[in-house]
Amino acid sequence: MSYLPCGVYHERYSQDHAWWQTNFVRLKMIVLGLVVYVVMPLWADAYYLSVANMVGYTVLGALGVQLLIGFCGQVTLGHAAFLAVGAYTSTLLILQVPWPAFLLDAGLAYPISILAAALVAGVWSLLFGLPSARVKGFYLILTTMAAQFITVDFVITQYVSQIGGRGQAFSLPPGTIKIGPWVIDNERNVYLLMIILVTLTTVGLANLLRSRVGRAWIAIRDNDIAAETMGINIVKYKLLAFFTAGFIGGIAGAFWISNLAAISPEHFPWSWSLWLVGVILIGGVGSLYGTFFGSLFMVVIMELLTFAVMSLGGAYPELLMRLNFVKESAFGLAICGFLLFEPNGLAYRWWQIKNYFNLWPFSY
Amino acid sequence: MTLVTGLMVGGIYALIALGWVLIYKCSGVLNLAMGELTLIGAYISLTFYSLGLPLLLALACSLIIGLVLGILTERIFLDRLIGKPVLTVIMMTVGLSFFFRGMVEFVWGTDTRVFTPPVFPLQPIKLGFLVIGQVYLWSFLAAILLLLIFVAFFKYTRWGLAMQATADDEMAALSLGISARFVYSAAWSIAFMAAGVAGTLLGNINGLNISVGYLGLLVLPAVVLGGLNSVPGAIVGGILIGILQNFSGTYLDRYFPGGVREIVPFVFMTIFLLFKPHGLWGWERIERV
Repeated sequence: MSYLPCGVYHERYSQDHAWWQTNFVRLKMIVLGLVVYVVMPLWADAYYLSVANMVGYTVLGALGVQLLIGFCGQVTLGHAAFLAVGAYTSTLLILQVPWPAFLLDAGLAYPISILAAALVAGVWSLLFGLPSARVKGFYLILTTMAAQFITVDFVITQYVSQIGGRGQAFSLPPGTIKIGPWVIDNERNVYLLMIILVTLTTVGLANLLRSRVGRAWIAIRDNDIAAETMGINIVKYKLLAFFTAGFIGGIAGAFWISNLAAISPEHFPWSWSLWLVGVILIGGVGSLYGTFFGSLFMVVIMELLTFAVMSLGGAYPELLMRLNFVKESAFGLAICGFLLFEPNGLAYRWWQIKNYFNLWPFSY
Repeated sequence: MTLVTGLMVGGIYALIALGWVLIYKCSGVLNLAMGELTLIGAYISLTFYSLGLPLLLALACSLIIGLVLGILTERIFLDRLIGKPVLTVIMMTVGLSFFFRGMVEFVWGTDTRVFTPPVFPLQPIKLGFLVIGQVYLWSFLAAILLLLIFVAFFKYTRWGLAMQATADDEMAALSLGISARFVYSAAWSIAFMAAGVAGTLLGNINGLNISVGYLGLLVLPAVVLGGLNSVPGAIVGGILIGILQNFSGTYLDRYFPGGVREIVPFVFMTIFLLFKPHGLWGWERIERV
């Protein structure tokens, strides 16, 4: 817990439970809300919006990983599989199901498919969470990796991609992705959808984490045997964690199809699962803030790196051709560097800064 | 025939699995950068081989460079993590795998390279009624040889025993005067070298490109099947997976066209773990609160 600023005392329990406890925090959150909901869509151009969309997609994907690793202690290295399941479920529902005309006119196909995608991804994740009842640690890591390879490299590549005879990639005709009368066809609309989804999932997850369920997850993370002796049904809660993580992953995948011209298995490789884990490590394990910091940091750093390499490209054209490899190396080094020098992630630094200023200038 | 081919492919898997088990056995860490270590070793020996050195000499060079790289990696990246939670160390190896893969692609590119001239004659050997590719035979023999060396190493030498002690309980080992730093450096060097041998052999089968690194991942089920900390387990698991793959390729492909071969080990592993959560011969630790 962070310290309260000088002169703030709680008199009622409701104050103690409030999300935003001081006027400063309320002001900060309102400003943040204004920036992301009003300033960004009005001011930013397509490039900034596309970067923001990437950040949002990473946040949505990483929230599930954060839940599993950071709050329930179940290390997963196959989360991209559930994003893929979400994306493909949503796409297939839109393309293949003979929607009744009134639903299409009302623009309900996409929202319904998002919900269905989340549910299907959740159940799929539950299926691969089943071994967690028996195995722990390294062995669990391996079964989650198996989820990735079985889902993306086999089921989706070999079978799901064949549905409808379109070959390897599904492309969504323009105008099919719409919610009500709102057609999501450019970066700005994708951004708005992203920000709404991120807000909803974050609020939902944050509230879930301070309920009975969330407490049980944290107890399992800290010591599963102790949690079991306290009467927590660990199998049930572990499976619930896998389901919730898959559910959020499904939402992320179904959201991302609005930004992709064509959906193919190459969008969900194993390295993307690792990337999501790297993001929460850099942001801070066991912190919702950390997910945001990590996503923001990684995406922005990668963009800056692209700029740097582009500007060097004139002098060293070789470098430009191998941009992706430089990025890959830089990401690896970033993870290593954070583990060595900032093992608690960016969220911990944020917490320290906050505490410093909460007590400032009378820190003792 | 299917059985024998599976056996031979399994030999190569066993070789990679060995590197995996080795690091786990010495330091209690699952090294997810194993595929990349394989790549590095293979590319180094390929580079020396294309310079005109004979294969054994090129392999020796790659072993020496692997030794140095192993010590460097341990000193720079993993030394400070001694005593840290296991997830931290695993994620460090993930970071390293990204770094190494990026570097390999940067230096050697992504095109497939082959050993020219071919190291092993292309015509297969006939043993009675069996027909075996020479590469497979040699890999199998190398795996068996290395297995014997490693088993002897862990059983009879001072270093091997020190490594096992460190993996069992780092604190106790440190208090008994075993240098954990030394043990870890040794483990990483050996892993680099074992991966180098395996990578060179693999590169001789179908040429060398980035996907050889993913083959390293394919071996994971083999490791798990045998139990993460058992050297004979790695060999048996590797061979079992090789056989399983070949049989499923022959018989299941009709019903599930596509990449059944690559997936069957993972499916098998997941189901297997449900029934035997520690593999065939892995340590079962008694957990206390």
